[in-house]
Order: sequence, then C-alpha cells, then structure tokens
Amino acid sequence: MGNKQTIFTDEQLDAYQDCTFFTRKEILRLHGRYHELAPHLVPMDYTNEPDCKVPLSLIVNMPELKENPFRNRIVESFSEGGDGNLSFNEFVDMFSVLSEMAPRELKAIYAFKIYDFNVDNFLCKEDLEKTLNRLTKEELTPEEVELVCDKTIEEADLDGDNKLSFADFENMISRAPDFLSTFHIRI
Amino acid sequence: METKLQIHDTGNGYPGDQQLLRLRRASSGQSHQNYPQFNQNSDPTEEEEEGVEEVDSSGPNVELRNTPLPMAIKRAVWKSQQMQDNRASSSKSWKQKNKKSLRNLRSITREAGQFFTLWGKSLQLIGGNFGGGVQSYFLFLRFLVILNFFSCLLIAGFVLIPSIIFRSVGTSLENSTGPEECMKYDPNPPGLVLFYNYFLDLLSGTGFMEYSYLFYGYYNNTQVAEESFSYNIPLAYLFTAVFYFAFCLICLIIRMGNAARVAVATGGSAVGSYSMIIFTGWDYGCLGDQATRLKQKNIHYQLQVDLEEEALSRRAASLTACQKIVHYTLRVVTFLIALGLNAAAFYGIFEATNFSQQNSGRAGFLGLFFEYLPSIAITTANFVVPLLCDQFALIERYSPSTTVILVLLRAVFLRLLSLGVLILTLWQQITCDGNANSRDCSLCKYNNKDYPCWETRVGQEMYKLTLFDFLVNLAVLVLVEFPRRIVVDHCPNKLVQWFGRQEFAVPHNVLGLVYGQTVVWTGALFCPLLPVINTIKFVILFYCKKITLFHNCRPALKTFRSTTSTIYFLVTLVFGWGLATVVMIYSLAEIQPSMGCGPFRFFPTMWSIVPTSFYNLSAVTQDFLFFIGSQAFSIPLFVFSCVVMCYFIALAAVYGKSVALLRTQLKLEGRDKKFLVRQIEELSRQLERPNANSGAHS
Repeated sequence: MGNKQTIFTDEQLDAYQDCTFFTRKEILRLHGRYHELAPHLVPMDYTNEPDCKVPLSLIVNMPELKENPFRNRIVESFSEGGDGNLSFNEFVDMFSVLSEMAPRELKAIYAFKIYDFNVDNFLCKEDLEKTLNRLTKEELTPEEVELVCDKTIEEADLDGDNKLSFADFENMISRAPDFLSTFHIRI
Repeated sequence: METKLQIHDTGNGYPGDQQLLRLRRASSGQSHQNYPQFNQNSDPTEEEEEGVEEVDSSGPNVELRNTPLPMAIKRAVWKSQQMQDNRASSSKSWKQKNKKSLRNLRSITREAGQFFTLWGKSLQLIGGNFGGGVQSYFLFLRFLVILNFFSCLLIAGFVLIPSIIFRSVGTSLENSTGPEECMKYDPNPPGLVLFYNYFLDLLSGTGFMEYSYLFYGYYNNTQVAEESFSYNIPLAYLFTAVFYFAFCLICLIIRMGNAARVAVATGGSAVGSYSMIIFTGWDYGCLGDQATRLKQKNIHYQLQVDLEEEALSRRAASLTACQKIVHYTLRVVTFLIALGLNAAAFYGIFEATNFSQQNSGRAGFLGLFFEYLPSIAITTANFVVPLLCDQFALIERYSPSTTVILVLLRAVFLRLLSLGVLILTLWQQITCDGNANSRDCSLCKYNNKDYPCWETRVGQEMYKLTLFDFLVNLAVLVLVEFPRRIVVDHCPNKLVQWFGRQEFAVPHNVLGLVYGQTVVWTGALFCPLLPVINTIKFVILFYCKKITLFHNCRPALKTFRSTTSTIYFLVTLVFGWGLATVVMIYSLAEIQPSMGCGPFRFFPTMWSIVPTSFYNLSAVTQDFLFFIGSQAFSIPLFVFSCVVMCYFIALAAVYGKSVALLRTQLKLEGRDKKFLVRQIEELSRQLERPNANSGAHS
C-alpha cells in the first residue's frame, strides 16, 4: 500500500491482522497508545521484536481501564506469568478480545479467567464474593452478599459441585443477551 | 504421548480434566477449540509445538484470531502456516492471495461503514456515559429518522415531483359534473392580510400554507396519457400512500426480527437473574469516574430490587385468605379509578375538539389558541393522568418489574387512544356521525359547509399536533430542564439537593417518539410533506436531547434492559402503525372525497380509482389479476400459508425441547466426567502403590 511507517515490517503487520480483529491502522494506533504509556521503555522500532514489558501500574492508568473495578484482573489474565506486565503482543491481544468483533466464545473464555481471582480454574464462592464486592463497591451487607452468591451458584451450577466450572459459566453466558455489548472496551 | 498420562493430584481439578481431554483428543482427533488452554506454568517451546499440532490437526477452517492462545503462540502458528503455504502448490497460493484481498476489502468496507453511520461517535459516547438503556432510546430515534427520510424520498419521487412538473407544464384537468354547492372551495381569504397573519398561518397551516404542496387540497387530478408516457396522479398518490405504509411495516418487522432473534437465542432470560447481573452487569465500556460510581450504585440497586422482589413474593405467598381478598379488591378499585380517569381525559379531548372545530374561523391569537385546543388537551391529559395513576402504584403493591410494565402499558394506551378520540371526533363532524341523510351531509355526503375540503382540514390537525409536540419538547427543554440544573447547581438548600438533577426518563421519551410517529403516519395521506417535516423535527430533537442529556441529566438509578427494551419500543410502534392503518383504510374506502379539491374530487371513494384504471390495462393482465383475486387461487394460497406456519411453529417447539434436552445432557456429562476422573485417580493410586511396594522391597 505504500505506507511509510517504520514501526513494523509488513510481515509483522500481516501477522497481527490475522491474529487479531484489528486493521493495519488500528494496530499502528494501538502501538502509539502503548508507546504513550512508557515512552522511555517502549521503542518506536519493533521490526526486530524487542522484549520490553510495560508494568501493570502504568497500564491500569489508561483512561479506558482506570475506572474499571476489574482492571487488575483484566491485565493479569492477559499477561504471560499472571503478573500483569504486558508486552505489546499481549497488549494487542487484550484489546482484540475486548473489541466488538470478538466472538462470544472467545470472550467467555477470558471473562472466566478475569473473574477467577484465585486462578484455580473454578469460580468458587470466594471468587463470587470478591466480584460482587467490586461490582457494588462493598455496599451490600454480608448477609446480602452471601444470599446473592448462593443464588448465583444455584442458578448456574450444572454439575452440582457448588462452584462454577468453565462449562457452567459458558452455558450461563450463552443465555445472556447483553454479554457481547457489555464485555467490550472501545479503544 | 506417554508423558500426557501424568496427572496432577489436585483432586478436583480442571488440569486433571485437561489431561483426560488430551487423551480423548489424541484418539479421536477432534477439534477442541472450546476448551481454554490453561497452561500457566508451561514450557514455551513445548507448548508451541503442541499448539501448532493441535491447531493444524483441526483443519484450515479455524480462524487464528478466534483461538484463545497467547499472542506469541498465535504468531508462531501463523508463521508456520505461512511457510507451509509458501511451499504449497500455485493453486493454494492463489487462494491465499484471494483471501488477502478479501480481507483488505472487508477492512475497507468496515471503515467506510463506520464513516457513513449516522451519529456513530455520539451514540458510542452516550452508551459509555449513560448506559445501554439511554443509548437504546437514541438508536430508536436514529432508526425513525432514517425511516422518515426514506419515506419522504418515496413521496417526493412519486407524488411531489410529478405534481410540480405537471402543474408547471399546465396539463389539463379532467372536469366532471357534480352539485355546484359541493365544488366551492376558496382557501385564500379575501382582502388585506395583516403581517402577523403569516406567522399565525405558519403555525396553524391555514392561509398561504393551506393551498400549497403541504396539503392534499392542492394536488390536482391530472392524468397524463401520451403515446410513450402516461402518469396518473391520483393513482400514484393512492399507491404511494399504501406502499409507504407497507414499507414502514416491513422495516419495523425486519428490525424487530433482529432484536427478537437475540432474545429467542438466549431463551428469554428471566429478569432479575442474579448470575446475569453479576457476570454481565458491568459495562466494560463505561467511561469516567462519575459514570462508574453510578453504574456501581445501579448494580447495587438492581440486586436490592431482586432481593426485595423475592421477599415480596414470599410475603404474598404467606398472606391469609382475608388479606388476599382485601388486596385484590384494592387492585380492582384502582383499576376502575384509572379507567375513570382515562375516560374523563377522553371526554375532555372530545369536547375540546368539538369546541375548536366550531370556533375555527376566529382571527388573531385567540383564534390560534382555539386551533391548538385539541393538541393542548391531549398533551395535558398525557401529562396529568399518568402522574395520578403513579400514585396508585403504592396501593397496588405489584412487584417492581410488573409496575414498570404496567405503567408503560397504561401510558401507551392513553396516548394512542387520545389520538384515536381526536380522529373519531373529526370523523363525527365531517360525516355528520356517519348519517348520510342528516341535514348538513345530504347534499355531498359530507359536511361541505364546515369542511369544503375535509382532507386538508384533517391534514392541518395532524400538522398542528406535530408542531405542538415539537414546540412543547423545546419549551420543556429551555424552561424546565436548564433552569432546574442551574438551580440544583447553585442552590445548597437540602430540599433542592434531594430533588436533584433530573434523570433521563427513557420510557416517557420513547412514548413521545411513538406518538409523534403515529401522528405522522395518520396524517401522511392528507399532508404528504409531513414525513419531511418529521425528519427535520427528529433531527433537531436528537441534538436537543443529546445536549440536555450531557448538560442537565444524571444517569438513572433504575435502568432499562437494553436488548429486550428495543422489542418493546418496536411493538408499541406497531400499535401506532395499526391505528394509522385503520384510519387510512377507512378514509380510502368509506368516505366521499371532497369535490372541491384534491386528486380524487370526482370519485365516489378514493379507492374507486383503482377499478377504473384497472379496466385500462391489457386483457391478459386483467385476466391474470382476476385469477389471483379469485377463490380458485386465494383459498389454496391461504391453506398453503397455514401449513407453512404450522411447520415453523412445530420447528420452534422442537428446537425449544432440544435445547432443554441438551442442557440436561450437559449436566450428565459433567457428572460422568467427574466420575471418570475419580476412577482414573484411583487407578493411578493403585498403580503407584504396587510400584512403591516393589521399590521398597528391592
């Protein structure tokens, strides 16, 4: 196309286009945003795949994530070691999954990861309580929290083990009409 | 493959299941893209190989971007795929080039689509700051703007422009005989016209506006028939009106279908489902500190409402018989009172319309007031009666979700029926209560003394309703909402702060839109330029509402579910469409058109032009159309459509049953999985024990 950008090689851009839901322009714009987070850390030239990671504290200050009660969990779920420091690959991956073109199944997988606070691949009662407290800013009484968590598990648990496995979660999400529109960050 | 049998002893674990699944995968080679790959302590190179293997084995149809693998692995897979493709035959590389160009085309169309979407950015901003419920109102408004725009293109193309051409060309009118009295129609008042009369005429559609393209009375019944070109204006007028209604209905149904598909696919989610609220309640696109805090309060409120509903239903179940009787009697009493209030409102509108029609000749601002009396009566009724009925909600004590639906239904009922009462009153006056032998209507079969051109008069009423609705909206904006915000922001009084900034009431505003659109539909036959006026009105309304939303409103505590609410909006719009269709059909088929004006002046009814023109068609076409209308065709067609409908109903029932069956199967599968995992763990323990024993011995 004759773009004079020198940030990525054409092959890299093609790879990103095939692996995410973004176009060329959007990927370059994302790189601009990533660079803005830590201008001294992030090189402008990505042609030789530099290995730099932006720390968690800088990423959660992005305006799109700043007010989200799950911002730490979101960033941790997409990072490689679960520590929250994202390389550019992971950064793009995160916004790709949260974009509006990602299919329901893919979003459900990452939503499950986000709500799983203790990373045991189950949504147990403690995970639900933490989720609920973050959602309502701890304004519910402990009895109400207990009641709501019990009701949630009762509604969604299919195999009767008092916690939600991924299959339970996905089954419940498939019945939610608003999931695709709410699990969506515009960047 | 042996290494894959190592099982982590987590006891309840997903990792254990995962190993089991790998076994299954290895043996059956199936695609498994639905299971997340939770390898958090994995060795990158090993995973890369496994990732490559697994994705490749599932076939080239799986899109890389849909897989839940980490980005580094996806790129490695992509690279290996590219290398494979480079080595592939020329036909495959041609396919790759095709795919690439298709992808480019898709991205270009997507960007173009985003560019051309009307108000896309504004809607995004509204959704982020105020939530899905308010956004659905603006989406609905945008849909109505586009619908009205295409309608006015339709009307302009088939009725307006030919009329302008034929009038300027000066094609001759067809004359016919009729009672001299009935053909008298003089819309231009004699003598001097005072300057402020122009303003009054603009607001009431009389004077210089009456005899213009705006109203039915100006169009002539020209029928051009040259050798190569023939155009029949009355026929075009009629067919355009009918097609306009059909077009609107089709658009509504398509839009409802899209929304309903989502609702049906998700199985009609129960309102107040806790898991839905927790996992899908948070809008990740929510921007801003204030919006986030309000969203949190909103979710808190929703959960409280659900808990309260539950408590209420438990209490209701435990009422004694005596208390139940009292409860139900109260509900019946409030229902009767609400009915009485509605009847009083309708009577008020009836009287106002009669009074207005009798005093329609007055000049000056008093005359204008009398002209607008029906509009004022309708707006007042629509404001006061719901306010009073809301007070009953405290006595009735329905559950909160039922209350919301009931309030909506009552408001819809009131609005559409008040419009119906107005139209009924007009009909009474025009056709002398349907009695063709009464004194005023015996000569021309309509009241030609008061209504020399009754279609224009009906069109004027609809024009006045539209204009008044628009002016009231603007007035409320300027006189109520902005001052309220200024008072709240600058006055530290506790009462004022408790009152607070206003919320954007979505149901109330949507009903306003439905009412406005129903008025336009009712009046389109009599005032062809009404869709144009309505398009402009809705565009201005969009910007005004957006300004008031961002400056004066705070996000609502009680929200509207956005997906199911779209369906409710469209259903109420269909009700309005139904009312307008009834009016149109009755006017077309039953009432004598005015003999002094309009394209149908010499026909007994508006519809009778169709049979007349029908006989000008060729014999073959006539025979074909007769055949389609005859019983030999229509009865088999009707039977066939019944059969098709039964088939679809049966199909839908079967799908519902299979969904329920699959859900039970899922549960059973889960239990099977746990049982098998436990068996395997036991077996592995038994295998380890003899090994340990044999190790200990030797």
